[in-house]
Amino acid sequence: MSIWNYVVTAHKPTNVTHSCVGNFTGPQELNLIVAKCTRIEIHLLTPQGLQPMLDVPIYGRIATLELFRPHGETQDLLFIATERYKFCVLQWDAETAEVITRAMGDVSDRIGRPTDNGQIGIVDPDCRLIGLHLYDGLFKVIPFDNKGQLKEAFNIRLEELQVLDIKFLYGCPKPTIVVLYQDNKDARHVKTYEVALKDKDFVEGPWSQNNLDNGAELLIPVPPPLCGVLIIGEETIVYCSASAFKAIPIRPSITRAYGRVDADGSRYLLGDHNGLLHLLVITHEKEKVTGLKIELLGETSVASSISYLDNAVVFVGSSYGDSQLVKLNLQSDARGSYVEVLERYVNLGPIVDFCVVDLERQGQGQVVTCSGAYKDGSLRIVRNGIGINEQASVELQGIKGMWSLRSATDDPYDTFLVVSFISETRILAMNIEDELEETEIEGFCSNVQTLFCHDAACDQLVQVTSNTVRLVSSTTRVLRTEWHAPASYSINVATANATQVLLATGGGHLVYLEIGDGVLTEVKHTQLEHDISCLDINPIGDNPNYSQLAAVGMWTDISVRIFSLPDLNLITKEHLGGEIIPRSVLLCSFEGISYLLCALGDGHLLNFVLNTSNGELADRKKVSLGTQPITLRTFSSKNATHVFAASDRPTVIYSSNKKLLYSNVNLKEVSHMCPFNSAAFPDSLAIAKEGELTIGTIDDIQKLHIRSIPLGEHARRICHQEQTRTFAICSLKYNQSSADDSDMHFIRLLDDQTFEFISTYPLDQFECGCSILSCSFSDDNNVYYCIGTAYVVPEENEPSKGRILVFAVEDGKLQLIAEKETKGAVYSLNAFNGKLLAAINQKIQLYKWMLRDDGSRELQSECGHHGHILALYVQTRGDFIVVGDLMKSISLLIYKHEEGAIEERARDYNANWMSAVEILDDDIYLGAENNYNLFTVRKNSEGTTDEERGRLEVVGEYHLGEFVNRFRHGSLVMRLPDSDVGQIPTVIFGTVNGVIGVVASLPHDQYVFLEKLQMNLRKVIKGVGGLSHEQWRSFYNEKKTADAKNFLDGDLIESFLDLNRNRMEEISKAMSVSVEELMKRVEELTRLH
Amino acid sequence: MLGSWPSIDPHNFSQFKPNDPSNSKRMTPVTYRPTHDRTVPPPDQVIGPEAKNILVRHFYQHAEEKLRTKRASSENPSPERASKVPSFCL
Repeated sequence: MSIWNYVVTAHKPTNVTHSCVGNFTGPQELNLIVAKCTRIEIHLLTPQGLQPMLDVPIYGRIATLELFRPHGETQDLLFIATERYKFCVLQWDAETAEVITRAMGDVSDRIGRPTDNGQIGIVDPDCRLIGLHLYDGLFKVIPFDNKGQLKEAFNIRLEELQVLDIKFLYGCPKPTIVVLYQDNKDARHVKTYEVALKDKDFVEGPWSQNNLDNGAELLIPVPPPLCGVLIIGEETIVYCSASAFKAIPIRPSITRAYGRVDADGSRYLLGDHNGLLHLLVITHEKEKVTGLKIELLGETSVASSISYLDNAVVFVGSSYGDSQLVKLNLQSDARGSYVEVLERYVNLGPIVDFCVVDLERQGQGQVVTCSGAYKDGSLRIVRNGIGINEQASVELQGIKGMWSLRSATDDPYDTFLVVSFISETRILAMNIEDELEETEIEGFCSNVQTLFCHDAACDQLVQVTSNTVRLVSSTTRVLRTEWHAPASYSINVATANATQVLLATGGGHLVYLEIGDGVLTEVKHTQLEHDISCLDINPIGDNPNYSQLAAVGMWTDISVRIFSLPDLNLITKEHLGGEIIPRSVLLCSFEGISYLLCALGDGHLLNFVLNTSNGELADRKKVSLGTQPITLRTFSSKNATHVFAASDRPTVIYSSNKKLLYSNVNLKEVSHMCPFNSAAFPDSLAIAKEGELTIGTIDDIQKLHIRSIPLGEHARRICHQEQTRTFAICSLKYNQSSADDSDMHFIRLLDDQTFEFISTYPLDQFECGCSILSCSFSDDNNVYYCIGTAYVVPEENEPSKGRILVFAVEDGKLQLIAEKETKGAVYSLNAFNGKLLAAINQKIQLYKWMLRDDGSRELQSECGHHGHILALYVQTRGDFIVVGDLMKSISLLIYKHEEGAIEERARDYNANWMSAVEILDDDIYLGAENNYNLFTVRKNSEGTTDEERGRLEVVGEYHLGEFVNRFRHGSLVMRLPDSDVGQIPTVIFGTVNGVIGVVASLPHDQYVFLEKLQMNLRKVIKGVGGLSHEQWRSFYNEKKTADAKNFLDGDLIESFLDLNRNRMEEISKAMSVSVEELMKRVEELTRLH
Repeated sequence: MLGSWPSIDPHNFSQFKPNDPSNSKRMTPVTYRPTHDRTVPPPDQVIGPEAKNILVRHFYQHAEEKLRTKRASSENPSPERASKVPSFCL
C-alpha cells in the first residue's frame, strides 16, 4: 500500500444519536428529523408511514439537535451544534427544496476544560436565547433579538462544575435554566438560575432541590400549564417546581431517553438501559400536580432517542440495536406488551470487531461484524449484492423453464408467462384484476415439456417441444404451422428469436429454421460429431430480429463453436478445457461490445469478446459464480441490458465503463429466470426458486446487503477458521433479571453457514475474552483457536491476571488443548513465525508451542518486550511488530531470531490514544485514535542518525469523525484481476456508529489528480450550515489542529457523480479534464466498495 | 392512562402497511449535495467566538462598578483619580 490514501464510506452511519419531530419542511408538514452522528435524515409523516426525504451530511459530529420556532415563523428551524464547537441554524426553503443557513458560528473558547458529561445545547422555549454548556464552569448564551436574529454570544460563569443536565424551564417571565449537578461529595442536586441577558449574568432562580437520587442524570422540563421539571433517577422519579414536589419509586433502571407524548406534558415515554419502555404520567387537578404514575409498556431496542410521531406511532432511535417504528396499543398482547414493532431500521453500530471472509468462496469478501450491545447484540453479514423486491409469488414445484410472450408483436408489455414442467406446460397471464391466472394458448402443446418459446414476427409465437416446432398466432392463439422432428430423433435443446429457430436433436443433428408469416422453413441441417448441450442465436448485430451467428456448446469435446447463419458454417471452435460441459451459452452486447458468455455445469463462467464480423473469440476470462449449472438470460433494467446467471449463487452480469462486472443477487438458489414486463408489474423478473415462482423487481446494482443474526448477547471479538468452517466469538450475556447484575462471558463456536451456536466454553467468574485468533504453529499441522482473556476483578484498576486458551475444533466441539496463565489482560494475539505473540498489559510476549514428553502441548514463554502503557493493538509482518498503545501512539518492534529477543526499533512520539492499528506495507502503518482521527506513520530506514531511524515519521493525517474499532485487510467487492481497481490494495474499517469504510492506497499520480478534484469539489459542493469541509477533515485533538494530508475524502469525491451536468462542466473546465474522463475515473473508485 | 394518544393529523399512518418487522430495512433517502450560495448565512448572522474573555469582562465590569460608586461618593472626581482605574489593552 502507500502513503497516498483514499478514505470512503461503504456503509453510512446508522447509529441514531438524536431525533426530533416538528414542522420543518412546511407549516403543514410533520417531519421526523434523525441524527446519525455525522448525518441528519429528514422524513415526512404520511398516511403510508415515514417517507424518507433527504439524507444531509454534516461536516461535524452532531452534539445537539433541536427544532425550535422563533416568534412570527410558520415553520420550525433546526439548531445543530457539533462536537468541534460549531453551530448552525438551518431552515427549509420549500420553493427550491434546499436547506439554507439562517445563522452559524463558532462557540469555542480558547481556555476552558471540555465537559466530561457531554455537550449540552438547549433553546429557550420562548426563543429568547440558545444556551450551551461546553466547558466546565461556563454557560454560553447566544441571545435572539425580537426579530429572531441571533446576537453576539457571551459566557456566564456557572458555579457548578460537575453538571449532569441543564434544561430551560417553561412559563418563566425571564429565561430560566434548571441545572442538575453533582457536588464534591458526590451528592446530586438541582438549582435554578434566571439568565439576565442585559447584565450577562445569572440571578438566583425561583427554587432548588437538594440531595436527589444518586443516579439522577436526566431532566425533563414540563410545558405549561403545569411547568416545573421531572428529575429522572435510577430509583426514583421526582416532579419539582416552585410550588410542588412529588416523587415515586421505580424499579432500578438507567433511563437513556425520553419522548414527550402530549403537548401539555402530562405523559412521557421513558426508555431504559434494558430496552424497556415505560409510560410516565403526571396526574393533575386544576393545573396542580397531584402525583406521578409509571407503567411498563413493553420492550424495544435500547433507546438513545424517543420521538412520539402521531396516532400512537413512536420512533425509537437506538445506538445499540436497530432503530424501530413502534405502535402503542390500547390492549396488551399475549406477552403483556403494549408495544408493537412496526418496522426496524438496520443499525450496525457499535461495530466492536469484524472479520473479512469469503464464505461463498467466490472471491468476494464479506464482512461479518460484532454489532450492537447488551441484549441487542448481533452478528451482521455485510456484502455487496443486488436485492429482488418480491411483488407476487406462487408455489410451483419442478419448473424446468420459463418464457414471457406478448399478445402482439408491437405490444409494449408481456402478456403470457409460459412455465414448463417435466411433462406439461402451463400458461399464466395477467387478468383484468392484474392477477396472474392460468390460461391457454390453444395452438401450444401443453401436455409436454416446452424446450423453448419466443415471440415471433407477424404476431406469432413459437414453441419448441421434444418433437415439434409450433408456430401459433398470438392474436387468435391457434396453430398456424408445425415442423416435426424426424421420427427417430427427439429435440434436446432449442433456441429462437423473432425470425429464426435453431435446434439440436440426438446424434449431433443441428437444424436451422426460419419463420415466415404462417410458415416454418427448414433452411439448413448439419450433423456434428458430438451431441449438442446448448445453443443461442440472440441477435446482437444491427437487425434486432435476425442473428448472423449461432453459438453452440458441445458434449464430449467440451467446446463452444460459432456458426454462421443461415448456412451453418463453422467459423470458430474454442475448446473450453476440463471435463465440465457447457450448459448455457449466450451472445450478448454491452456498451457496444459483443460477448460470448459460456456457463459450465460446475458454476464457472467463461466470457469472450466476440468479433461479430469474423466470429473470432478473444480475451477469454473465467470466473467462478457458484457450484451448480448456470442458466444465462438477458434482461433490461433502467434502460440497460444485463445478464442474469441463474444458479445456486445467482449473479447479475453487467457492464460498466466497458468492463464486465459481477454482482451477487441476494437470493439463495434460482433455477430459472425470465424478464416479465407486464403492465401490472413493469420491468419485473419472473424467478423460479425452491418450489416457488416469484415476480419481482430488481434493485439498483451495487448495493450492500446486510443479514442479521441476533444473538441476544454482546459479541465482542470474532474470528473465522477456514479449515473447520466455523466462527469463534467472545461474547458476554448481561443478566437482566438477577439483582446482582452478574455478567456471563463465553467463547462460542458457530457454524459459518447456519450461524448456529455449535459449542460453548464458559469463562470463569470475572473472566472476559479480550482477543481471539485462528492459527497454527510450527511443527504442528492442526489449526487452533487461541483466546486471550482478562480477569476483571471489581477491586482492581488494571487486570493483573489473564489466560491464553488454546482450543481445537473436534467433531464440531471446542476442545481445550492448552492453557497458560498470564500476568494481565491479553489484549491482542497474533500468529508470529509459527509462534504466538501476545500483548499482555504493558508487555509484548512471545510464546513457543512445545511438545511435552507425554505428547501433550503447552505454550512456553520465549521472550518479551516491556515499555508500553498498555499494548492494546498489535499487528505483525515478517519479523516486525507494530504496537498501538493506549496513549503512546504507534511503536515498531523487531524480533531478532538469533538473540531470541524483541527490541524496539522506532516509535511515534506523539501522545495519541489509539483505537486501532494496521500495517499498510513494510514501511507504512495506519492508526486510528480516540479523537476520531486517522494517521499514517512511516519507518525511516534510511535515516542517517539513530535518532532519525528511531522515529516514526507522521506522513498522513485526517479527521475521519468516526471512532474506529478495527482495521482489516480485505475488500467488500469481488476483485477481478482484470480490473484496474483490482490492483488497488484496501483496508476495511468498522466504527462505533456502524460505519464500514475503506482505506485505499492509490498510486501517486492518481492521488494528485484526485486531490485536485477534491479541491475543486469543495468550491462547488457546499457544506450544509456553512460548515467547512477543509476544517472538518483537518486533524484535530486537544493539542493541535493540522490540515489533512495524504488522505482524500472519497465521499466528497464520489459525490461528483451526483452533480448535474452544468456543475460537472464547471469542474471539468477548472481541471481541464473532460467530463467523461472525470466520470470514468470517479466511477472506477466507486467500485472499491 | 393509556389510550387517547394524541393525533395531529389522523391520516398519518392510517394506510401504513408494515413490512415484516423481523426483516429490518434500511431507510436511506437521497443524499443532499448543496451547490447553492445560501449555505452561507447573512454576514450579521455569523457568530464569532467571544472577543473578551469572561475573566477580563468581569474585571471591566468590576472596574466600572467601582468607578460608578466612586463617582456617586464624590461629586467632582478628579481626572487623575479616574485614570488609576486598571485598564486593559486587549
